[in-house]
Amino acid sequence: MSGADLKQMKTTKKAPDVTASAVDEGHRTVPMPFGHALIKLAETRPEIVGMSADLAKYTDIHIFAERFPDRFYQMGMSEQLMATAAGGLAKEGFVPFATTYATFASRRCYDFMSQAVAEQDANVKLIGGLPGLTTGYGPSHQATDDIAIFRAMPNMTVIDPCDAYEIEQMVPAIADYPGPVYTRILRGNVAKVLDEYDYRFELGRSALLRGGRNVLIVSTGFMTMRALDTAKELQADGIDVAVLHVPTIKPLDETGILREVRRTGRLVVTAENHSIIGGLGEAVASLIGRSGMGVELRQIALPDRFLDAGTLGVLQHRYGISRAAMCESIKRWL
Amino acid sequence: MVQEAKLHNSQLAERAGRVRRNALVMAETQGQGYIAQALGVADVLSVAYFHAMQVRPEQPEWEERDRFLLSVGHYGIAHYAVPAEAGYFPEDELTTYAADDSRLPMSGMTSYTPGAEMSGGSIGLGLPMAVGMSMGLKRKGSKSFVYILMGDGELAEGPTWEAAISAANYGLGNIIAPVDFNQVQADGPSMKVMNTEPVVDKFEAFGFYVQRVDGNDLPSLVAAFDNAREHPEPKPRIIICDTKMGCGVDFLEGREKSHFICLGDDDWKRAYAALGERSKA
Repeated sequence: MSGADLKQMKTTKKAPDVTASAVDEGHRTVPMPFGHALIKLAETRPEIVGMSADLAKYTDIHIFAERFPDRFYQMGMSEQLMATAAGGLAKEGFVPFATTYATFASRRCYDFMSQAVAEQDANVKLIGGLPGLTTGYGPSHQATDDIAIFRAMPNMTVIDPCDAYEIEQMVPAIADYPGPVYTRILRGNVAKVLDEYDYRFELGRSALLRGGRNVLIVSTGFMTMRALDTAKELQADGIDVAVLHVPTIKPLDETGILREVRRTGRLVVTAENHSIIGGLGEAVASLIGRSGMGVELRQIALPDRFLDAGTLGVLQHRYGISRAAMCESIKRWL
Repeated sequence: MVQEAKLHNSQLAERAGRVRRNALVMAETQGQGYIAQALGVADVLSVAYFHAMQVRPEQPEWEERDRFLLSVGHYGIAHYAVPAEAGYFPEDELTTYAADDSRLPMSGMTSYTPGAEMSGGSIGLGLPMAVGMSMGLKRKGSKSFVYILMGDGELAEGPTWEAAISAANYGLGNIIAPVDFNQVQADGPSMKVMNTEPVVDKFEAFGFYVQRVDGNDLPSLVAAFDNAREHPEPKPRIIICDTKMGCGVDFLEGREKSHFICLGDDDWKRAYAALGERSKA
């Protein structure tokens, strides 16, 4: 669908995609990559346990629960309990992977993650489904501020993976890291993109997926998929776009980002499925500010407001994170 | 502690007295603090540490130890007095209480406070933390118990009840939760701030094995902690301990505003005298 088509796109009467994954047309998909990766890892790692707060089915950990019923704790709709009990399990030597939606993981669990997990440096992996704008359900389920929340928490590692290929690699990587981690995940049928780019996930490292002379997109989460598609689309207009993928938002790969930003003469754009406040864009902006480089930065991000309910395609375009909206914004800024 | 022989009540009373003295030493260092709670809960903590729990002060990380969680972090002043008496760290260190760079801050931190199994302070974290540790201990086939000390005001915290539901759901009989029911919290009398009674009925309805005892009567406490360990049903155990704020120091016992107390020089002397001790400062 072209930008012009989308501009004309009518709002629909279709019911909102409540638990949709964000897969753009033309991409291959993999079912339940998080759940399968966790099962594979747990086969050889008895210390790994699963938990969920009544959202196992909607965070893909239900297949872990089916495979290892005695290693899965259903905590009911008690997110604060789940976060804190995960801290307790970690104290006894286990590595809990605890899942809920990203809104509840961040807003509901904040003090509990801060004091029972992060402050105590507990080896807990908190998994947030439905990141950013991946549901049309409305603000209660749209986690537009989770990264800002966890970035501000000392000791936390914060990750927004792009696709199934990355999630599969990230699960064992965060299990090997002995400290608290918050990661978003994509659930259901998840796009597989990064295998085409000879990509390897490394905790805390960014990766240049393609070079380009005119624009540098620094992106995270599934917006890297969109950035790559945007780069392909703009190529036809003679615009050469580089894409730097930053899955780990904290700790930020400052060296890797500055190395690319330092190459002058390019429009620098950050792209994320998160509020314009407190996410990757602001992290990169403050990094550039501290570096003294004086580079202008543009942000593709969700606005600082509670978003509408509706259908995902309409909403993602409305708030500027669709591929078409990205293309339009970049052309306007050039 | 690992007991060669169980302490007589008179020996427990002596130790509880020294715990009270230790708490006064810490409070006097700062000139103020949560003194009344420390004096009130001294008997509960003494029975927990010197009678009920299996711990090795010289080996704080001993895998088979019973865990002790201090959910009410501001009870650090009471809690430190016990491990000091038990030998986790030198008594002299008590005078660093709440000072810069001390290992004994007002609310104990698991990362640097000796004997602190959790960082308390954010009230309501304790029972949920106990649930996770209890699950972990059961996974390991451990026989250890998780002791978790809560305050009465804490029973108004939602996560306490999330944890209560799950502790019963998972049959976590290795949780023993004494509650210091001293009837005082920051904004006033606990049952006026938020009436949580009838607590016995509530916890029974939630599936707990419940006892309610005079929390300043050592024989009653000993019996209650013994019952809690020996109870045959796979239910989490709670001991509502009715305690008297300031217990042992008469002029603090009846004090209306006692959540956080400032004392003058003469008052410290009177307080030590009431305990049959003299100021160390």
